[in-house]
Amino acid sequence: MTAVSVPIEHVLVLAAALFAIGLVGVLVRRNVIFLLMSLEIMMNACGLAFIAAGARWAQADGQIMYMLILAVAAAEVAVGLGLVLQLQRRFNNLDIDAASELAG
Amino acid sequence: MTALDFQALAPHLTLTGGTLVVLLAVSFWRSRRTTLALTLLSLTAAFIALWPGLDAGPRAVTPLLMLDAYAAFFNGLFILIGAVTALLVHRYLQGRAGSQEEFHVLLLVATLGAMTLASAQHFAALLLGLEILSISLYAMVAYPEEDNPPLEAALKYLVLSGVGSTVMLFGMALIYHATGALGFAELAAFVATGDRADLWLTAGQVLFIIGIAFKLSLIPFHMWTPDVYQGAPAPVTGYLATVSKAAAFAVLLRFAVDARLLDLSGAGAVPVATLFAVIAVLSMVVGNVLALLQDSVKRLLAYSSIAHVGYLMIALLVLGVLPNEAMAVETALMFLAGYLAMTLAAFAVVSELSAAAVGERDRIAEYRGLFWRHPLLASVLTAALLSLAGIPLTAGFIAKFYLFAAGVEGALWGLLWAMIVGSAISIYYYLKIVFAMTVRGADAPAIPASFAGLATATVLGVVVLALGIYPTPLIELASDIAQGLRLTP
Repeated sequence: MTAVSVPIEHVLVLAAALFAIGLVGVLVRRNVIFLLMSLEIMMNACGLAFIAAGARWAQADGQIMYMLILAVAAAEVAVGLGLVLQLQRRFNNLDIDAASELAG
Repeated sequence: MTALDFQALAPHLTLTGGTLVVLLAVSFWRSRRTTLALTLLSLTAAFIALWPGLDAGPRAVTPLLMLDAYAAFFNGLFILIGAVTALLVHRYLQGRAGSQEEFHVLLLVATLGAMTLASAQHFAALLLGLEILSISLYAMVAYPEEDNPPLEAALKYLVLSGVGSTVMLFGMALIYHATGALGFAELAAFVATGDRADLWLTAGQVLFIIGIAFKLSLIPFHMWTPDVYQGAPAPVTGYLATVSKAAAFAVLLRFAVDARLLDLSGAGAVPVATLFAVIAVLSMVVGNVLALLQDSVKRLLAYSSIAHVGYLMIALLVLGVLPNEAMAVETALMFLAGYLAMTLAAFAVVSELSAAAVGERDRIAEYRGLFWRHPLLASVLTAALLSLAGIPLTAGFIAKFYLFAAGVEGALWGLLWAMIVGSAISIYYYLKIVFAMTVRGADAPAIPASFAGLATATVLGVVVLALGIYPTPLIELASDIAQGLRLTP
C-alpha cells in the first residue's frame, strides 16, 4: 500500500452514487438497451463496494465476490440481449412500453 | 475436498451430470419424448442421491454450502416440482411453435440453482444460487416463441428481478464492509460481539431485506409479480410460484437462524423484525384485497401467493421473540410443504387446460362449467383452492394451523389478526372460482386432456388432501429436521 490511500468511506460513497445513478436510469429510461446498461452500472457499483470492503479487511473475498458478480452480470445480459432481439423482431421497436398488453 | 464431501454433494453432482446429458442429447438428437425421459431420469437419479448425501451427515462442504437434512428436505421438494413441471410443460408446448427440447435443460439448471440456495451458508453461494435460478427462469418465462405476453413478462421480470438482486448485493457489500463477514456463522459471531451501531451496517441490512422482499414478492416490492405470473406460460408460473419462492425463503430462514439476522440491528436503528412485520402485514392484507379485484386466474393466484408468503413471515418472526429455533423451522417446513402442494396443484390444472389448440385459459369466465366438461381437473382445482383458503381436511388448513400455533406461542397478535382478516377475505375469491366451475350449461369447447397431465394433476390433488387428512408422517419429518438443524453456538 502506498502512503497516501483513499479512505474506504469515499469509495463506498462513490459506489452508492453509482448505484443511485443506475437505479434512476432503470426508473426513467424506457429503451431496453439503456435499462440493461443501467442494471450493469448497479451491478458494478456492488462490485466496487465489495472491493472496497475487501480492502478494509485486507481479504481477497471482496475481489472474489466481484468476479462472481461479473460472471453473473454477463449471464444476465446475455439473456437480456436475447430478449432485446426478440423485441426488435416482433415490434420493430426497443421501447419496453411497446410490449404492454398485460394489465398494470 | 474429501470423498465424503463429494458424497454429501451427490444430489447436486447428479443433477449437474444429468443436465449435461440432456444438453448433449438435445444437440445430437431432437426428440420430445427422449428429452422428457432423460429429464425425468436425471431428476429421479438426483432424488435417489439424496439418501447417500444424507448419510454423509450434516456436512459443510467448503465454507459455502451446508448439506444437512434441512437442505435435503428442500432439495427433495424442488426435484419433485421439477419433475411435475417437466411433465406439464411437455403437454403445454405440444403444438406450440419453436424448438422445445431446450426448455428441459433450463428447467434442470433452475432446479440446481434452487438446490444451491437451500444449502447456502455464505453470501457467495446465495448470490450464485439466486442468479442461476433467476437467469434460467428469465429464459423459461420467455420460452414460447410466437406469443407476446411471455416476452413482455420476461423483460419485466429480468429488469425488476435484476434490480432486486443488485439491491440485495449492495446490502451484502455494506454488511461485509461493516462486519468483515461473508459466511452466515461468521456474521452470527459478529452479532454476538461486534459493534452494531454502524450506519453502513444499518443501510446494508435494510437493502438486504428489500432485496429479499423483491425475490419473495412481498408488498410493496411485488409490482413485477402479477404481470410476470400472468404473462408467463402456465407451467412456468407454477414453477415461479413454488420453487422460486420456497428457495428464497429457505435461504432467508437459514440466514435468520445461522446469522441471527433478527438481532443484527443495533441500538437506535429500526429493528429488523419490525421491518419484516410491516412488510408481512401489508402483504397479507393488501395482497388479499387486490386479489379480490382480479378476473384473471393467474393474477389472482399471484396475489394469493403474495399473501401466503406474508403468512409465512410469521414463522420467521417467531425466531425474534422465542429462543426456540426448532419450532420456527418446523412451522416453516410444514407451511411450505402444504403451500407448494396446493399451489402446484392449482397451476397444474391451469396448465393442462391451456393446450396449444385453445391458448392460455386465464379468465375466470373461461372456467365456467368446468365441472361438467372436465370433472377430474375441476375437482383437483377445487381441492387446491379450498386448501389455499385454509378449509379443514386440506393441506392448507394444517399449514395455517401451524403458523397460528407458532404465532400464539410467540404472542405476535398483530400478525395473527392480519392473517385472520386476510384469510377471511381470501375465502371469497377462491370460492368465486369454485362457483364459476359449477355453473351448468356454459358453452366452451372441451379439449381432450392428456394422460400425463391428468395423472399429474390427480396425484397433486390427492397429496393436497392426504396432507390434510393424515399429516403425521410429514409432521414427524419436519420435527426431526428442525431438531437436527445445526444452530450457531
